[in-house]
Amino acid sequence: MAQTGHLTRVPAAADEPWLNPVTRLRIIILVAIIGTWELVAASGWLLRDVVPSILTIGRALTELLGHPDLKVTLAGHALWIPAFYWHLYVTISEVVVALVIGGTTGLAIGLLLGANPFLAKAFERFLYYLGPTPKIVFFPVMIMWFGVGPESKIAMGTMSCFFPIVLSAAAGMRQIESVLIRVGRSFRLNTWQMVTKIYLPAMREPIVNGVRLGMGVAMIGTLLAETKLSNKGIGFMVIDAYNTFDMPRMYAVLLTLFVIAIGANTLVGRASRG
Amino acid sequence: MPAADPILVVENIVKRFETQDGVLTAVDDVSFNVVPGEFLSVIGPSGCGKSTLFNVIGGLMGGYDGRVTVGGETIRGPHASIGMIFQEESTFPWRTVIDNVAFPLEIAGMGKAERIERGRHFIDLVGLNGFERRYPAELSGGMRQRVSMARTLASEPKILLMDEPFAALDEQTRLLLGDKVLQIQQDLKQTTLLITHNLTEAVQLSDRILVMTYRPGKLKRLVEIRLPRPRTSEIVSSDDFGRYVAQIWSDLREEATKGLKDDEARRGGEKSS
Amino acid sequence: MSAGATIRREAVPVVFGVACLLALVALIEVLIRAGLINPFIVPKPSDIVMSFERIIMEENILPRFFLTCGEALMASLMLSVAGISIGVLLHKSRIVRLATETWIAAVASAPLVLMYPLFLVIFGRSAWTIIMIAFVAALPPVILKTLEGLSSTRPVLIDVGRSFKLTPSQLYWKILFPSALPTIFVGVRLGMIFALINIVGVEFLINFGGLGQLVNELAERYDLPGTYAAICFVILVSVLFFIGTERIERWLRPGT
Repeated sequence: MAQTGHLTRVPAAADEPWLNPVTRLRIIILVAIIGTWELVAASGWLLRDVVPSILTIGRALTELLGHPDLKVTLAGHALWIPAFYWHLYVTISEVVVALVIGGTTGLAIGLLLGANPFLAKAFERFLYYLGPTPKIVFFPVMIMWFGVGPESKIAMGTMSCFFPIVLSAAAGMRQIESVLIRVGRSFRLNTWQMVTKIYLPAMREPIVNGVRLGMGVAMIGTLLAETKLSNKGIGFMVIDAYNTFDMPRMYAVLLTLFVIAIGANTLVGRASRG
Repeated sequence: MPAADPILVVENIVKRFETQDGVLTAVDDVSFNVVPGEFLSVIGPSGCGKSTLFNVIGGLMGGYDGRVTVGGETIRGPHASIGMIFQEESTFPWRTVIDNVAFPLEIAGMGKAERIERGRHFIDLVGLNGFERRYPAELSGGMRQRVSMARTLASEPKILLMDEPFAALDEQTRLLLGDKVLQIQQDLKQTTLLITHNLTEAVQLSDRILVMTYRPGKLKRLVEIRLPRPRTSEIVSSDDFGRYVAQIWSDLREEATKGLKDDEARRGGEKSS
Repeated sequence: MSAGATIRREAVPVVFGVACLLALVALIEVLIRAGLINPFIVPKPSDIVMSFERIIMEENILPRFFLTCGEALMASLMLSVAGISIGVLLHKSRIVRLATETWIAAVASAPLVLMYPLFLVIFGRSAWTIIMIAFVAALPPVILKTLEGLSSTRPVLIDVGRSFKLTPSQLYWKILFPSALPTIFVGVRLGMIFALINIVGVEFLINFGGLGQLVNELAERYDLPGTYAAICFVILVSVLFFIGTERIERWLRPGT
């Protein structure tokens, strides 16, 4: 046996960008999925409308994203844009507001609970068990309180994202090494300084994970509320396509939505790594 | 000088690794024999290739030059006559103590009643009676290592191969477990090969000690330990013990210092660029 | 400190928490009676409590509960079988795992439940729509946790198996899989919880099914105390489910 040994390394994507087996396999998988889809679409085995051909979906997609069918007024000027972008704007603004409200309250309360064991023992249990409940059932109440406009959707989004954020923040506080806190105290930092210079930097990872999760559920909460009762937003577009039985359009909206959701999640993930 | 036929023969082992910094020679032409019933320790500083040697002899690592024979047979992977005890925590957390210890018997197809009885025998040997039904999570680190030891002993290997099994334990537990190991080894006349960096442990337990150099690991010196048998940990306080330790330390210190300097040079070099 | 004193000290914050909650409810009752909060937006807590009896009697709470539970159980069963099997299969080949794991994680972050109108078209307004959505939406975490569990077996345990010359099949079933089970259970539990959330949510949205539908129906009838009461039921079921699965997980992992 006259060979040199090798330390095992995972073949990084940078080694062979196009020919590496992982990429090849992914292409094969994609082709197989698309191929099977087209076969099912063409055979009419499921209702033709339920599984439209890729071309039909493609056409609906270009129409969705490229066909200007809505007149909006921007700074006094009239513009024709595809309705999709306006609805997207509505949904995104709802989600962002929900995240801001839910995020700041969640963070603040989470920090408080993490720092104070008494309050934590008194109240955290409620939050922990309330977390995995389907918030959408609160929607009728939200409508009563906030009306049928975007406010009730924002309320849904806020409720949804509050829980993962507050629980991650509380857990994150507790996992800070106590020695770091003692260092802060030994320098006689006031509360605001402790929060900004010690707690938050030390908690970066759990907070980012909580926010990522919060973003996901805020999106779901807002979108589902839009499907139930709304006349704008992406959720509305989906249910509208269903009501008019425009399946290709529904697929187009869902596809775009998923791409955006996954993209946003990936971006936040990359940002969290530095 | 060992007169009997050696049971384990390590011949001209050379093991190289490819790393980002080029080819690294971990073990450079190491040869030695082990005779039946003897306790041999291989000692060296961190980075001398001891763990590589452990994996090579245990059959877990290939791609080397030279050969290892057990009872005349060249090994090709883990050999049935060699039992390994690892440095890390290696008990199966999902099995009770008795199920851990009886594991090799279960693999060999032994019936349940029989392997529980055999297993009990080895649990008794390491002094853990009464803990058969506990889970490893309920035991201390030292106790878990004893379970791993009992498990390997249950397979009744001709050669026991240990890689710093007590590294994670505190000094006092180490000495007492060393006593246990001595007692077991003396009772079973178990051929044992111990890889360690701990000087006192090596002198306490061994018949012979092989001192290795820092990377590339070569055999620096072979020391015969002529301390009386049977031994206990009380030997630690004897004069002869102290002399052996001093003698081996002078060799070790030289190699350990090389290792330290090499480490500093590598890290310093990266920072100054 | 004596055992009694320790128990008392531990109970104080819990009692405090519950007391605060009750105080809040009492405060709301007072504010409504005083006319400061509109009873058509927030019904009196006393009214809500009284409507519990009505709901139980008139609204077939038990059959609804069983329907929702049945859907949840079916979905959970499908989830576990499919999720663990797929995870096991994907794990067998390193290349397949590398190719698909990030995709599945990406899919997990997408709002899959939004596809419910699609499933409505395929399965109609039936329990199967609900079960299938729960299945699809909750599948990724089960697969991912199975993969994670199998991949994160401590190397020394594999070395132990090799040193005892285990066959590949023995290595898998006696070491890899048992070592992965705790993580796999976490995944199954996550999946079950996601499933229940989605089931109740979709029941509400498509106005079909058990408890979720009850909330929707009462809301459409403008029966406010009833709606609140139904929401309380949903919370109760969800909490019990969560605690129950937590207990089961702890029971199944004795060595932890």
